[in-house]
Formats: sequence, C-alpha cells, structure tokens
Amino acid sequence: MPQPPIQPKTTSLQQAPKLLPSALLAELLERIDTDKRLVVLDMGHAMASTVRFFGEYRCQLNFIDLYAEQFILTPDPELTHSQRVAAMREALNLAPSAKIDICLFWDIFNYLDDAHTKALIEVLEPHISTATGALVINPRDSRHYLPFYRYGIADQDNFMQVESTGTQPTIFARSQRDLNNLVDYFAIDRGRLISEGRAEYLLFENRNIDKTDRSMI
Amino acid sequence: MFSKYKKFISGSDDSSLESDNKAGIFQPSLQSAVIGAGVTIEGQVISHEDMVIAGEVRGAVIAKNHHIHIATSGIVKADITAKIISVEGTVTGNVTGLERVIITATSNVQGNIECPRVTLEDGAKFKGSIEMNPGEPTQSILPIFPVTSVKKRSSSAGSDQIGAKAS
Repeated sequence: MPQPPIQPKTTSLQQAPKLLPSALLAELLERIDTDKRLVVLDMGHAMASTVRFFGEYRCQLNFIDLYAEQFILTPDPELTHSQRVAAMREALNLAPSAKIDICLFWDIFNYLDDAHTKALIEVLEPHISTATGALVINPRDSRHYLPFYRYGIADQDNFMQVESTGTQPTIFARSQRDLNNLVDYFAIDRGRLISEGRAEYLLFENRNIDKTDRSMI
Repeated sequence: MFSKYKKFISGSDDSSLESDNKAGIFQPSLQSAVIGAGVTIEGQVISHEDMVIAGEVRGAVIAKNHHIHIATSGIVKADITAKIISVEGTVTGNVTGLERVIITATSNVQGNIECPRVTLEDGAKFKGSIEMNPGEPTQSILPIFPVTSVKKRSSSAGSDQIGAKAS
C-alpha cells in the first residue's frame, strides 16, 4: 500500500556542514577497483568536500543536481511514462556508452514518486554494470521523518551533510522492502542505521537476487 | 592595484576583491587585460597575459600560459582553456585548466571541467562533470567547440564520458 506523501517543511538559514559517520562508504570503495579511472555520478548538489575527496582519485565526477529538476519541485501527475523517461534522460544527460562505477543517490528516492523512480532506474540501466556500486540514504522506515539535507563525502568514514534552505519537496517515504523492489536491477546489499532516524544502504547490481522480504538492518 | 579594475567591474565590490586576495585566487599583474562589465565579445579571445572577464564573452577563450578570472559580473558562454581559471560569475561551456581551476561560492557553472586540480567552494552552482587526474598536468588541450555543440560533443565522446548540459 503506497504511503501518502509527507508534508514538507521550510527552512531559511543554512547551517554549517556536519560530519555524518558512514559504515558503508569504505566498504563500497573496497569493493570498487579504485586503481582504474572511476566514473562517479552524484545525484545531488556539488559539494566542496566531495570534489576534494575524489580529487585524490583519477576520476570523472558528475554532479546531476536532480533535486533542482521540475519533476521534483513541481511534479506533473499527468505525464505519461515515456514523458517521465524523456525528462529524466534530459536531466541525467548521459552519453550512450557511459558506464558508472559509483552512483551516489543520497536521499533522492524520497523525493521521487514511484513512477519517476521507475523512470530514473530505466534511464540508468544501460549505464550500470555488475561492478557498479551505489549508496542510498533513507528513513529507517516509512514512518520516520526525513531531515532536509544536502549530502557529500568528507572522507571514507564520513559523509558531509548540510541543512538545505527553502521548501522541502514532497516526500514519498518507503520501507526498505518497497525501495528494494523499486530499484529493480539494483539490490540492497547492506544497510546500517545512521542518526536522525535514517539508514544508509549499499546497493550493487544484482538481477538474480530474491528480494522477497529481505531485511538488511 | 585592484583599484585599476574597480571602475570596470560592476558588481565586484571591495569585499569580493579582498576575498580574492585572501584566497590567492587572482592577483593580476599590471599587464592584465580586462573585459569590462559593459563589453560583449563574440568570437575567439586569445590572451597572452592574465585576464579579467567582467563583461560577456561568447565563443572561445584561450590563454594557455595565463590566468583567466571570471568576475562576479562576468558571463562566459564559451569554452575556456587556460593555465589557471577562476570563476566568480557565470560560465556555460567546457573549462580546461592546465594547472588549476577554482569555482568560487558565487559562481554558476554548467559544463565539463578538465584539470589536474579542481577546487569548488560550497555554495557554487555547478552542473556537469569534473575530470580529475591528480599529479598529472593536463597534457592535451581539448578541441574548442562552439558552445552550442557542447552537448553534442559530450554525447559522442569516449566510452565513459558523461556529458553535461552546457547549452
């Protein structure tokens, strides 16, 4: 049963960035071949700490800033699936042959309804390989409030979070099981509880996994 | 020294110029060229000295051995190639720094950045890709494409090139 959207909140004062300990980022980096040139897709805003962090690697770091797209700020429920896919494809602007090593989804799925989440997953599919790893931040369950943050990477043991300004877009909270089913060819490999009622998930491409009622945390 | 530029650069008050100095972002020499806030240039700009762009440039900007600084009032719809590139204003196009690229908090950049050392300040609006290769200076200079072809270029680039909207 889909959860009703949670009412958003508005903030006006931007806070200083804070560290958010992560147990899974280091594991993701261990499981990725960091000796080769990395292709990193960050769905969020460009953060200074993320640029500094990946500056130590030979890599291409891509900032998509999906949070600023119209389909999140003012979603149009009348769009067809093909229109949503087209809008998502334009927002991502990926070269046809691009292959992603690390995908930083942050909490983007919470701001996408099921239809747009499916569109995102569909558009990403040609760019995902068995070596692709991804990170997601989500409320522990669909009852938990989602704080309004921007995220980055501080070091391999810490994310960076900074409170966002403005109005928080509509939230589509999901359970871990519902999220795991929505992300299709991705599967939640591990999950860890983090502060403020949230969890971090490590995802890898896995089309053969049985997703029925599999809890990671 | 900066008083020389203040009259040309609208929107660059004393504080922004001081912050430049503190961060060591841009310290133009007396030989630095200035494209003033009221100036629009269409075409290829090739500079053999440091340059401040406070006006608008459409086309291409090249200064292989020098520093290009886009002031807060500067609008560049062009690919930029320079030794050092610092941005306080607006850039739409590909940015190739042979030594260093600095994207400051006030900037708005859409395009692909290629440089061994990239610094981005929190608050900057950036959409695109950053190609980093620490310890290795950029050996080759990207071909200069018209701004209107940036998106096309990124979609036909190498196997793992990811494009960004720059038009």
